[in-house]
Amino acid sequence: MLSVDILLAVCLGYVALLFAIAFFVDRRARRRPIEWLQSPVIYTLSISVYCTSWTFYGAVGSAARNGLEFVAIYLGPTLVFIGWWWLLRKLVRIGRVHRITSIADLISSRYGKSSSLAVLVTALVVTATTPYIALQLQSLTRSYQVIATDADGFATAFWIAAGLALFTILFGTRNLDANERHHGVVAAIALEAVVKLVALIAVGLFATYWVSDGFADVFADVDMEALGGDDIFGPRWITLIFLSATAIICLPRQFQVTVVENIDESHLKTASWLFPLYLLGMSIFIMPIALVGLNTMPEGANPDLFVLTIPLANQTDELALLAFLGGFSSATSMVIVAAIAVSTMVSNHIVMPIVLRLLASDRAVSGDVRDLLLTSRRISIAIILGLGFLYFWLSGGSGALASVGLIAFVGVAQFIPSLIGGLFWRDATRAGALSGLVVGFALWAYTLFLPSFEGQFLISSAVLEQGPWGIAALRPQALLGLQGVDPLVHAVVWSVGLNVLIFLIVSSVTNANLLERLQAALFVEVYRSDGGAALSVATTSAGAEDLFILAQRILGTDPARRLFDEMARDQGTTSDLPHPTDAVIARLERELSGSIGAASAHAMVQRIAGGQTVSITELIDIADETQQLIVTSRQLADKSEELERTAEALRSVNERLRSLDAQKDDFVSQVSHELRTPMTSIRSLSEILMEDEDISPEDRRRFVTIIHEESRRLTSLLNELLDMSRLETGMADLRLEPVDVSNAVVAALDAASGMTRKAGVKITTDLCEAAPPVVANDYRLRQVLTNILSNAVKYNVAEQPEIHIRTIAKDGAVWIDVIDNGGGVTREDAAVVFEKFARGSRAGLDQGAGLGLPICRAIARAMDGDVTVEFVEDGSSFFRVILVPSKEADQPAEAAGA
Amino acid sequence: MNDPRYTLLRRRKIRGRSMVLLLVGIVLLMPPLIGVSFVDAKIAGIPAPLIYVFGVWALLIGIAFALAGPLADSDQGAASPEADDVGS
Repeated sequence: MLSVDILLAVCLGYVALLFAIAFFVDRRARRRPIEWLQSPVIYTLSISVYCTSWTFYGAVGSAARNGLEFVAIYLGPTLVFIGWWWLLRKLVRIGRVHRITSIADLISSRYGKSSSLAVLVTALVVTATTPYIALQLQSLTRSYQVIATDADGFATAFWIAAGLALFTILFGTRNLDANERHHGVVAAIALEAVVKLVALIAVGLFATYWVSDGFADVFADVDMEALGGDDIFGPRWITLIFLSATAIICLPRQFQVTVVENIDESHLKTASWLFPLYLLGMSIFIMPIALVGLNTMPEGANPDLFVLTIPLANQTDELALLAFLGGFSSATSMVIVAAIAVSTMVSNHIVMPIVLRLLASDRAVSGDVRDLLLTSRRISIAIILGLGFLYFWLSGGSGALASVGLIAFVGVAQFIPSLIGGLFWRDATRAGALSGLVVGFALWAYTLFLPSFEGQFLISSAVLEQGPWGIAALRPQALLGLQGVDPLVHAVVWSVGLNVLIFLIVSSVTNANLLERLQAALFVEVYRSDGGAALSVATTSAGAEDLFILAQRILGTDPARRLFDEMARDQGTTSDLPHPTDAVIARLERELSGSIGAASAHAMVQRIAGGQTVSITELIDIADETQQLIVTSRQLADKSEELERTAEALRSVNERLRSLDAQKDDFVSQVSHELRTPMTSIRSLSEILMEDEDISPEDRRRFVTIIHEESRRLTSLLNELLDMSRLETGMADLRLEPVDVSNAVVAALDAASGMTRKAGVKITTDLCEAAPPVVANDYRLRQVLTNILSNAVKYNVAEQPEIHIRTIAKDGAVWIDVIDNGGGVTREDAAVVFEKFARGSRAGLDQGAGLGLPICRAIARAMDGDVTVEFVEDGSSFFRVILVPSKEADQPAEAAGA
Repeated sequence: MNDPRYTLLRRRKIRGRSMVLLLVGIVLLMPPLIGVSFVDAKIAGIPAPLIYVFGVWALLIGIAFALAGPLADSDQGAASPEADDVGS
């Protein structure tokens, strides 16, 4: 029989070895890290802190009771690790970029560095970790009692707890590392990982090949019931895989070793297959050990201790000792890492805010915050182990190991919605995370945690049976009458289910504040940014000395000195303190958050700096989002504006087309009318000539003369129409050349001289000699002037008709005004005189076809000029021909006019 | 090897494979598929459900190892944030 003295001696020796390793590695790491200790294998071994005494002892117990079910606890982590690229990689990247110190820090940081969220998560972590630590104490105590049969369980558990607290305090709080890494502890737990794997495999081989005769013998008379029965792969199986998958991420100790202690992202690659392999190695002999134990051990032996009792029963003391060390390693490594992780949270998120408040009242208070932090961590560790011990004591050390562990699993699974949502969903808000967590944890406590005391704590057994106040619908393990379900599945469905729902609903109806949106962008898009260089956004009133004092208090004098020297060097300043730019403040905040968590560091630095530091990448990330919104809405507005414009253009074109169509109809009917009158007389006269033989020769001559006159009118009308159409369509090939205006006027007066003389019109001229030559066709210009002159003669009803012609050169144009004393056209007539076939109200019946003025205007426009009606004050009007000077207008007028 | 496009392509490819492996693992280890293995039969003296669960487990580890292998030579690339895909 293994003696207690030897056991104690070996255990003490083993602990001394762990101490030595942790101490040596810690000291070396400070000077120069040991290369092989930075390897992915050590990283993987440290992750195997997942395999606690629950695995080492409890898995066999679970296999003995529920067959294959225990495997699910290792399949969840396997799936998470082989799918590392999706989640773990992002988690580790965020942890490195944002100097995340714990899962509480991660969640609070993601949701706007919220300290309330940090406090909540910390409180929940403490609650969920307590049963887990109790579980380790319980298994250590029980395994010790197997050998020291008369040992008192209470005292044993107490001394184990005290010893573990001491070890953790010594190595977990030696220093405040900027990255919260513990090289010494990692090395020690890596060694423990090897010991527990070797011990379990050794016991497995012993049970399979020494006690039994190989696998075939072990499984010889196993029935399907022993493997778990028909419903082994049912809802509970799925629930266990889900829970273990969440636990490998959310358990504070797993987060600590996987994310916080990670020194190289690429180590994940090795861990992605090596860690599942480790789990497989731990699991492979569980089933055989359980079956051998059930077959060979006496009735009523605790299957949770088969790993230890099988070697003992077969008188192999060395193997029993190894098995004990394996169990000891499993339990201690878990407790140490969990205590470090949880104490970090407690001191960062609960103690620090209180210290901050004290500091705020007297900033100049002397004393090292660093010491205070370390002290608070040490006390936290003691408290956490004390709580674990209390739980062990309260729950009476009863209950199977596995069920206690699962309570903790469901507890930390409540972090999953906020965590995954925070990593992949930008619109997840703090309110959503808070409410989801509160509801999830309340339900966890009510449906699983409190019932685990079996009526000894807060909830009485009567409430468990009949529900509070006898309301059956509120029974903790059959909420709303959900009966016939495994209590674990029941608790997960209610707590995680409602947690997810409320997280989603509240997140989608609430809005995030600026810092939250900023952190959301940085976390979700972590591969795009790298912490970000800070930008000067806020003017801060921080003094460099104040910041230095703060850093000194938290980081220690030397590290703070080094940090500030480096920052000063980066700035290129000659003084020994850097100028407190926003970049410096952001950097300092990041460095401090590695020691005290993002929320505390943020609160602390901002208290001194008094401003909000926003880094450039942060701004870009936020701006990106806003910018996209702005651009999109602007594009939409542009589009609709453009549509509006197009529609407007279409409308006006349509309008013009319609009026043009109407004009065309008018024109056609007018032309027909104009043609019909002469044609009628021609036709009727020619009919008379054809039919009546008795017409006198005078009549005949008169008729023929009329026919001839009418034909000429028709011809001239058709010519004018043709001319008009050519001018309007631009088909008339007007050869433009510089024309002297005065010459043109004189020529036009000559052409019209017969008519003017006949009408007795008195002509006066006032020709501007300096007028430059204009762009015109000489012949056509004369046609225009003659036409206007003849109108002035024809329609002048004054007793003594007079016509005055003047030319004016002005503003890059030359005007030829034809003014008669007949009063000109009225304003009403002016609107229509340029329309085809329109005649002024003064026009007689036979005064032409009404195409004269339209043709004049068409000609003038073809020469880039115009013909207009101008009015003077007394209401009379005159015609004005506007022409543009030719390009040679720059030249002296005399030369051009020559 | 140093062509960034090649690295990006390979990275995306590996990420895709890792996702597929995860999905395959979930499908194989969850009901209803896993229930198929629950038959009262033994292979080499070991019950079929055990063979199935541990077999699938070992297979997943083997493939994960094969996927991680080619990555080992691009450790430096993985450490630099610029080289990473931004879409994941």
